[in-house]
Amino acid sequence: MIENRPFLAFLTHLVLIVGVVVVAFPVYLAFIASTHGSGDFMRGLVPLLPGPHMIENYSYMFNVGLSTAGAPPLSIMLLNSLVMAISIAVGKIIISILSAYAIVYFKFPFRLLAFWTIFITLMLPVEVRIIPTFKVVSDLGMLNSYPGLIIPLIASATATFLFRQFFLTVPDELMEAARVDGAGPLKFFRDILLPLSRTNIAALFVILFIYGWVQYLWPLLVTTDSKYYTVVMGIKRLAATADAEPQWNFVMAAVMLAMLPPVLVVILMQRLFVKGLVETEK
Amino acid sequence: MASIDIKGVKKVYSGTVTAIHNLDLSIPDGQLVVLVGPSGCGKSTLLRMIAGLESITDGTIAIDGAVVNAKEPAERDIAMVFQNYALYPHMTVRGNLEYGLKNRGTPRDEIDRRVAEAARILEIEPFLDRRPRQLSGGQRQRVAMGRAIVRQPKAFLFDEPLSNLDAKLRGQMRIEIKRLQRNLATTSVYVTHDQLEAMTLADQLVVMNGGRIEQVGAPISIYERPETLFVAGFIGSPPMNLMPMDGALGAQAFASLDLPSGTDVVGIRPDSLVVSQPQTPSASFSGTVELVEPVGGESHVHMRLAGSSDIMIISVPGRTEIVEGAPMTVYAKAGDLHPFNHQTGKRTDTPAANP
Repeated sequence: MIENRPFLAFLTHLVLIVGVVVVAFPVYLAFIASTHGSGDFMRGLVPLLPGPHMIENYSYMFNVGLSTAGAPPLSIMLLNSLVMAISIAVGKIIISILSAYAIVYFKFPFRLLAFWTIFITLMLPVEVRIIPTFKVVSDLGMLNSYPGLIIPLIASATATFLFRQFFLTVPDELMEAARVDGAGPLKFFRDILLPLSRTNIAALFVILFIYGWVQYLWPLLVTTDSKYYTVVMGIKRLAATADAEPQWNFVMAAVMLAMLPPVLVVILMQRLFVKGLVETEK
Repeated sequence: MASIDIKGVKKVYSGTVTAIHNLDLSIPDGQLVVLVGPSGCGKSTLLRMIAGLESITDGTIAIDGAVVNAKEPAERDIAMVFQNYALYPHMTVRGNLEYGLKNRGTPRDEIDRRVAEAARILEIEPFLDRRPRQLSGGQRQRVAMGRAIVRQPKAFLFDEPLSNLDAKLRGQMRIEIKRLQRNLATTSVYVTHDQLEAMTLADQLVVMNGGRIEQVGAPISIYERPETLFVAGFIGSPPMNLMPMDGALGAQAFASLDLPSGTDVVGIRPDSLVVSQPQTPSASFSGTVELVEPVGGESHVHMRLAGSSDIMIISVPGRTEIVEGAPMTVYAKAGDLHPFNHQTGKRTDTPAANP
């Protein structure tokens, strides 16, 4: 659309800028708050410029934490979150790419049934089956452990489905050419299918990493030992201190640190991520 | 290098659909055999059964004397060129050529030697480090052939390798495939639906229809003496004129000629119809010219027969003086007629009767 209407250009830019401000301002405010002293936010006037306590606040949260709120240092929580998010993302990708490979390329009895069983689990996310899952995990003695945090979230119908759709677009002749070239099923998977799925894997990793990172309800249920707290649920604990004003500067420092890894993952993998969503390399 | 023997081979899909009926064919060592037929005639299925990509319902396929029914494609020592090339998109051209050799544990210096040689023969040396998607269709086709050559297999299998190319490139690659096959003298099976490709390439032509072999032979002998009505109509462009004899017109035109008993359809090649009456006994047809198609070296005249709705195609050399709408009479020598019976679909004369 080629139009030259100054007013329209002004209006569209205004709407865009307002939108950006609405989204970005709270983040900015969180950052500002994390750089001030403990009492500064209680005085009624919200400061809009960075304060002098940034390094102090961050290093305090990172190394010591708010023991009064029952939360361990952020370094532990960040590490827990990292372990959980990466394990979930990697585990989901490995499991779903293998099951998609089996479903698409092998003929076995009840193949369709297997596919639909996986597909139907889409209807049963963690939140829906949380009580029975909790019961099972607790009976297995996996409360307060990494396996307990990770395993119930690791199967993924969505990823299986995505890989299946991708494999279906790979021409059959490629598999036949590989067979003529002497590549068995595993070799074909490793030498041909896996490299072709590279961008899809990267895109899925970003999505699944964030999915694992923002898990709130499940870690809240299965962890009572602060050694296993994840950062997203930890923030809630920091803010909800009984009988005292929340120490916003520390809470916000935690928020900023919790936001960082997903942002980094997106930025670092952005190129592959967009490629994986937009094009299929053939 | 090896012969391929197909004995009583049958292919039944999901228990009900029979794609190939009891087919026997033997392909001699070093020959280029072309399977040709309309789509759905089972030619690709047969090729894929030879390759081992499709299971064999019944019968045996033997390569170099050894039955290969239960063998994996890789163990059959064949190489295949696919219609859509099926190059590995994430590998360079070199990687594509090497892959099959690496899987076989060929020593490194041997791989390099063979790849260099194939690249030289096919003139793809400048592209060795490019990816397939950076190549044009013709170049990809060469790479696909290179992948087959480096393996030095017992047999090449071509599955409509040229149908994704434009007409000019197709003609060029056709010649190259033929030259390559002559030089390497590797047994080859080539599937196509393009009868021009089939005629020009084949040492042996196999015409298939409905899962059966209609005729096997040298291309020219099939052209000159089609054994069945199907082959008569399928091989040749423009197609053979097939005139039913039961019409008043047919009976009159062929009355003076001594056709074998049982003949009810007569086939006449467009290029054996002439405008001047020959000395030998002949059949004559008259009608009006409906359409003239100049193709360059020759022209195709479509003539509507007088008193009928049948169209006859006559191929005349060069540019013709014939104009559309004019009356016309053409003659065919008795020896150029192909008598058929439409019920059996077979020729009614014996080779001796028609020298």
